[in-house]
Amino acid sequence: MNATPSLSMDVALITDRDRTLERIYAKTFPMVRHYVKERGGTTEDAKDIFHEAMILFYEKTVQEQLTLTSSVSTYLMGICKNLWRQELDKRTRQLPLTESQAETVWEPPTGGEEPAPLKLMTFVEQLGDTCKSILVSFYYFGQRLEQIAAQHGYQNIRTATVQKYKCLERLRKAVGHLSIENFKP
Amino acid sequence: MRPELKEVQLLEAYLQGRLTEEQQLDVAVRLLWDQDWQQKLAAQKRAYQALRLAGRQQLRRELDALYVRLFG
Repeated sequence: MNATPSLSMDVALITDRDRTLERIYAKTFPMVRHYVKERGGTTEDAKDIFHEAMILFYEKTVQEQLTLTSSVSTYLMGICKNLWRQELDKRTRQLPLTESQAETVWEPPTGGEEPAPLKLMTFVEQLGDTCKSILVSFYYFGQRLEQIAAQHGYQNIRTATVQKYKCLERLRKAVGHLSIENFKP
Repeated sequence: MRPELKEVQLLEAYLQGRLTEEQQLDVAVRLLWDQDWQQKLAAQKRAYQALRLAGRQQLRRELDALYVRLFG
């Protein structure tokens, strides 16, 4: 793999996620594992922080908020070093290990009226496989409608667009009841 | 597209700031008095939040599977 930043990294990540993630994983994880193990962590610790770093990297890339000035591996190593430092800090202060660094690092604190993440995700599951796949592919994984139309056997982008909004409307209705419930005293 | 779907589309464009200045203002003004729209907008934001959580969960699962395949 080329060590210089690739101009089409974001495109490759979105259009060919499996293979692109695999390539990055195979190249970078051994370095992260080595780093963490040298500093008192386990392979499991290395895996956890590497996954958090990959999630941050993916989200930033898809949201076009990332301009790489180094290779992907160097960038990911940088995040991992930071996350591991925070983790060690936490351990010395004997605070319990949190499930997701990504959530604590990147999401604003939620108020008491916010529904639990698991509850929200249940509504996405209840949409069924097709709607879930269309919406998550588009809104989270950043796939273009052309790709989504092809994957789901839609004739054209227009059909895929209509389907996408139908699914979103269903999800909006489902979580809408949740919002109203939450306003009740 | 039926009107309900057009409305979902319009609110999405509004949230992303993709409307013309005039259209953005129209929606913003309507949101001031239309409670039905206010609730729909709140629900739509929550829907995007749910999708982000579901997407993140899926990505985490894909990474777990990659770990098993490559290093497990």
